Amino acid sequence: MVKPPLVIARHRHLKWRALDPLEHILMVFCGISIAGFTFSVFLDVVTRTVGLPILWLQLATTGFFAWGVFIGMAAATRRIDHLNLVEITKRMSGPRRTFMEVFNRIIILLVALAMLVFGIQNFMNDLGSFRAPSLIPLATYTASVPIAGALIALFCIEQLVNGWRNGFEGPEDTDDFVGIVK
Amino acid sequence: MTNGAILLMMTACFLGFGYMGVPVAFALMAGVLAACALTPISMQSMIGQMFHGIDSEILLAVPFFLLVGELMTSANVTNRMIRLAQTMVGHMRGGLAQVVTLFSMFFAGISGSSTADVAVLTRTVAPEMTREGYDRAFTAALIACASTMANLIPPSIMAVVYGATGNVSIGGLFLAGIAPGVVVGIGLMIYSHFFGPVGLRKPRASLFEFADAVRASILPLMIPLIIMGGILTGWFTPTEAGMVASVYILLVLVPLLARGHIPNLPRDFVYTGLLYSIPLALVAAASAFGWMLAYLRGPDIVSSWIELFAGHDGRLIMLLLVLLFIVIGDFMDAVPAIIIFMPIVIKLNELGNIQPLHMGVVLITTLVFGLITPPYGLSLLVASKFVGVPFSRAMFASLPIYVVFFVAIGFTVLFPDIVLYLPKLLLPESVGCFKSPSGQGYICPP
Repeated sequence: MVKPPLVIARHRHLKWRALDPLEHILMVFCGISIAGFTFSVFLDVVTRTVGLPILWLQLATTGFFAWGVFIGMAAATRRIDHLNLVEITKRMSGPRRTFMEVFNRIIILLVALAMLVFGIQNFMNDLGSFRAPSLIPLATYTASVPIAGALIALFCIEQLVNGWRNGFEGPEDTDDFVGIVK
Repeated sequence: MTNGAILLMMTACFLGFGYMGVPVAFALMAGVLAACALTPISMQSMIGQMFHGIDSEILLAVPFFLLVGELMTSANVTNRMIRLAQTMVGHMRGGLAQVVTLFSMFFAGISGSSTADVAVLTRTVAPEMTREGYDRAFTAALIACASTMANLIPPSIMAVVYGATGNVSIGGLFLAGIAPGVVVGIGLMIYSHFFGPVGLRKPRASLFEFADAVRASILPLMIPLIIMGGILTGWFTPTEAGMVASVYILLVLVPLLARGHIPNLPRDFVYTGLLYSIPLALVAAASAFGWMLAYLRGPDIVSSWIELFAGHDGRLIMLLLVLLFIVIGDFMDAVPAIIIFMPIVIKLNELGNIQPLHMGVVLITTLVFGLITPPYGLSLLVASKFVGVPFSRAMFASLPIYVVFFVAIGFTVLFPDIVLYLPKLLLPESVGCFKSPSGQGYICPP
């Protein structure tokens, strides 16, 4: 089966080419995260079975997992792959469509900024908390939240600016689920 | 402002933004942050709750079961199972429709994702069904309905999320999901036989052809045995079972059955990495929403309403919850629904003295129905899109099939002894049984 490139062409009119390498990196990171925790759970089972358990492997596993979720959340924002209750805006056009798309992205932007600002506060607090048994600072995990917030905010601004300039309508309005299910 | 008013405002924010087109995860968080402005709860703690919502080893099973589905689909190993299903039921009336259902039952034992099932069937069997003259709306409806079994027959992603949030045995939920899954499967086969298109009648496969198809698909069909066998023998947790199944595909299935696919494996990981983050972003946001709901005493408010109608009658409480979840499932995704409403479900379990595992399987059976009902019937939306038929036509074609789901839900509510038979037999602790002090057998609650 032929797979599409990592940076998809969908919603091209809402994207800056300059940010394509970033999307590529985030996608690769998503792959690394799932490969990483598959390997760490595998090693965990093997080392436990042979009677030589490595306790920090579980911390590595949850680290890969959490970072994967939040980085994937950011990548899905750029690819417009998040799940929606309805795709109501895709049936609109003109100023109504622009208003709704801008409004929706402002909501996303506000949530992303909250993730960034309060995520940084949590990160600072968590610098003093450690996870047993290897005493890794909790902040190494929770840093994923503000970073995702910053990336989501960046992609939101990108879509707002390009949508305002080029319009939000695109050929993707008719293939809502292609991105998610490939 | 009273708790009830804040609760209403938070829910209105979520639904309002959601129906204006804001992605679900962000609509949920917007509702939570708006509620923070009216309560002493800090936004910082709610953003922290997003992280804590996914900081659970049990939830790791979700990406593994998605990875298993992605690897099987991407490497085209599923074709072997479709051929096996064809040799078993392809000669029957509506042969390809029967193949869709039987294959979905096989595939449900491997992947926990309904959309993966839809993706496989719409690419492989659907074009053949169109060539044989099946109505495309019926094809889309049947594929969507059959794909719901992926969330009933183990491994099920909904069961993992339910178990992780409600502190219920995931192995027990897996086993309890088999009965409603089989009821849906048999129901769809009966429906296709009596009410579906006839299709082209084909000769029955010879014993040799059947044996050849079994031989070809024996390796993929080991996956359900690995997953359930590992969990039931206590060798693996559900997460580890998912990992072992993934490693089995990577080290055994792909090299033996689809060697040409090896260069594409990194891409499978990349796409699954993205794919798992989408439902888990919902889990993160929904856990913050659920936390706020519990803080605002939402469970007390809803359970007092339900108590007003049902008193302490467990079956009536369950019935009202089924009605509530049928409505909820129509409007939102199952994963956030489970997490958001879990505090209410726990409260009602206590009120009606309901076995949590039984409640879990009833709610999962109800929520899978939401995958095929408008406006948010994700499986039906995807199937209609891929088969190339308007959603409204696919929806009308699926309306008579709803009966199968009503029967499955009714069966799950009314016959707990049958539904919980396998968990009681194979994982007695999952239904509240404990070892007899004499050391022989288990003592189970009535």
